[in-house]
Amino acid sequence: MALPLSYNWRNLFVRRTTTALTILVIAAVVGVLSWMLGFWTALSGSLSFAQDQHKLIVLRQASTSETNSAIPPEESNKLSQLDREVALDPTSGQPLKSPEMIVQVSLPRMSDGGRTRANVAVRGLTDDGFKVHRNVRIIEGRAFQQGQLEVIVGESISRQFIGLKMGDTLDLGYSGNRGYKIVGVFSAGGAPMESEVWGPLTTLMNAYQRNAYSSVVLRLDDKFNAADVIRKVEGPTIQLTAQTEAQYWDAQAKNVRTYLFIVSGLVGVMCVAAAFSIANTMYSSVAARSREFAMLRTIGFSGRAIMVSIMIEAVFLSVIGGLLGCAGAYIYLQIMGRTKDMFGASTFTTMAFEISMTPMIVVYSLGAVTLVGLLGALTPGIRAAKIRVVEALREA
Amino acid sequence: MNLRLVYLHRNLTRNVRRSLLTCAAVGLPIMIYVLSMSVVHGVDKFLDNSAKQLRIVVTQKTSIVNPLPEGHRKKIEALDESKQRLTSVCGVQWIGGQRENDPTPLSVMAADADSFVSTMPEYELTQDEIDAWQKDRQAIIIGSGPAGQLGWKIGDRVSIVPTLPPYRAMEFHVISTAPKAPDNQSIFFRKDYLNEELKKDGFPEGQVSFFFVKCATKKDLDEFREKIDAAFAGSLDETRSLDEKTFMNEFIAQQFDLPKNLAILSGLTVFVAIMAAMNTMSMNFRDRIAEMATLKSLGFSGGFAFSLIQTESLLLCSLGGLVGAIVPFVVFTYTPARDFQVPLIQTLVVEWVTCMKALGIAVFIGLVAGVWPSWMAMRMHVVRALRNLE
Repeated sequence: MALPLSYNWRNLFVRRTTTALTILVIAAVVGVLSWMLGFWTALSGSLSFAQDQHKLIVLRQASTSETNSAIPPEESNKLSQLDREVALDPTSGQPLKSPEMIVQVSLPRMSDGGRTRANVAVRGLTDDGFKVHRNVRIIEGRAFQQGQLEVIVGESISRQFIGLKMGDTLDLGYSGNRGYKIVGVFSAGGAPMESEVWGPLTTLMNAYQRNAYSSVVLRLDDKFNAADVIRKVEGPTIQLTAQTEAQYWDAQAKNVRTYLFIVSGLVGVMCVAAAFSIANTMYSSVAARSREFAMLRTIGFSGRAIMVSIMIEAVFLSVIGGLLGCAGAYIYLQIMGRTKDMFGASTFTTMAFEISMTPMIVVYSLGAVTLVGLLGALTPGIRAAKIRVVEALREA
Repeated sequence: MNLRLVYLHRNLTRNVRRSLLTCAAVGLPIMIYVLSMSVVHGVDKFLDNSAKQLRIVVTQKTSIVNPLPEGHRKKIEALDESKQRLTSVCGVQWIGGQRENDPTPLSVMAADADSFVSTMPEYELTQDEIDAWQKDRQAIIIGSGPAGQLGWKIGDRVSIVPTLPPYRAMEFHVISTAPKAPDNQSIFFRKDYLNEELKKDGFPEGQVSFFFVKCATKKDLDEFREKIDAAFAGSLDETRSLDEKTFMNEFIAQQFDLPKNLAILSGLTVFVAIMAAMNTMSMNFRDRIAEMATLKSLGFSGGFAFSLIQTESLLLCSLGGLVGAIVPFVVFTYTPARDFQVPLIQTLVVEWVTCMKALGIAVFIGLVAGVWPSWMAMRMHVVRALRNLE
């Protein structure tokens, strides 16, 4: 028979100081853990929306990103060799190829009132771009018109940078002297493209004195495998390089992933420290209650029931501490701001995202900390279960 | 005195498990503190070197990615004809790069051959290396980081494919692995060689990603930083000049702001250790109320009880702190882990100063953790305490 839960609950209040201190230890660890999970989720969430396996980004050989790639128009013509593999536009019957150019503009961040700036990508494209980048939708205003000084801005950056509201004028061009009017806001389903400014290819190439595209983005026919097509692009007849959207963005997040890896390692060590702290508390609780346990055994509770009971107490401690920690992280994010932007490893442009305490993160954090609690309570629990009844009753 | 030591020893060993768990619960956070702070110091050291060099970094106004014309160098130099205040100007073109069939990104830059040595004195090139740099157009200086990783040595002929024009393999001769350079990741070669290769393939030449301008004093730096931007204001190629530290810091802050995040993390971790140690001390006190009361009734002073608990707390935490500080020091100084690379920063060096600071923090944790129980012990009313038992 199991011991009633109220027994465990009340026990937490018997040694108030110890309980409170243990909860604070756990809260601090979970606070960091949930913040880190939040960062991780936001980052990989954004990347997970850029997993289109049939969208191929063609770059100059040896280029690692659109920023440092240049494909002259005559060279992009070689891609017509792929007309069989590229999907056709249902209305015009033309292969879906989008020549694009990337430049950067340095914009003030909203989070610190414009004190610091970040590099935001400006992408020039033709109308075909909207057919190749399928997940892009205009959510406010309208699309830009070719040949005009008009741009549309991604949803994420429009929220995080100053001067990106509908109707604002954005100074672009090599010398920053061409005013582009913001005529719309677009969403890309949360993908990194929401951190870009989009405008007409020809006027932007002109404004930046460019005569080469940065990339050509292809939409593959569903019948073809991306890896095979990439091999063909890199082959002797085309001599360009290509990456799927997923590969491309994965590489950009490489540095940040290393940093998160370092932080995860340190948080892991913190979790171990928390487990030790819980073990310490539970050992002391077990030692002080040996007579109580002996009594429980004599009235018929099994050793196993007592062990489970100790574990439940540890889980109570962990969950209370965990909730407190999540609340702390939530408040921290509310005060310090949830918006983050991250520099791509070789795009040199920023990727904006927002950290939020989603229910999933709370669940994961609590799950992790429950595990830590169980681990910490395991040996004290076993000890409590193995108590020698007669001796313990005789003691003291 | 003797009695006190014996008592202390007994107290620490009477619940060995509890003492060990506490040591661990303090030691692990201290370890996190040491590691985090080592990374933060690595960044600081890197930035401090940048500040020490009194260099201005001049980039294109709208974006660092946009190039500036090479000709800006002459105009910058003209701001101080005497060369007493702006001592050296070096144009640098970033070309990224990687080895053939190896995606590992390299940070390769082409620098003005004539002014590189005087603008970057912290590289401390030997006379032989300087001669080689000036004589050999294909000379390249490989930072000790990539040199070690790729196994490149002085005298090697190496091939690098730039990520920017001319986009094809270029051949170089390694003339130095810059063991003294604080920035061990960068790779420098001669800009005249790049220009020539660009010309061969019909790419535009004579572009510069940024200029390093070395100043004589801090005052010159502040003054000319504004003068340079003013000189190009209104032109087609406006500039944005920053001191090198601010320039580097912008990069670091844009990636993840590792220093800030780690500083917050280490602060929290010290909090965890304080709570864990306090917990142990309060449990100890609880278990020993009767004992304390007995001691006092035997005539030992409140001060004795106070110092007994305080020393125990101090010893426990210092012991944990000692282990927590020594382990990362040993691991990152004497084992293969010392080659651990943190991107942008370089190798993680755990300095003994950081460890001593951590130890100081451990002592502080011990003090804080012991305050409440030792105060209670000192003020304890003997009769009430004895009566309250059970």
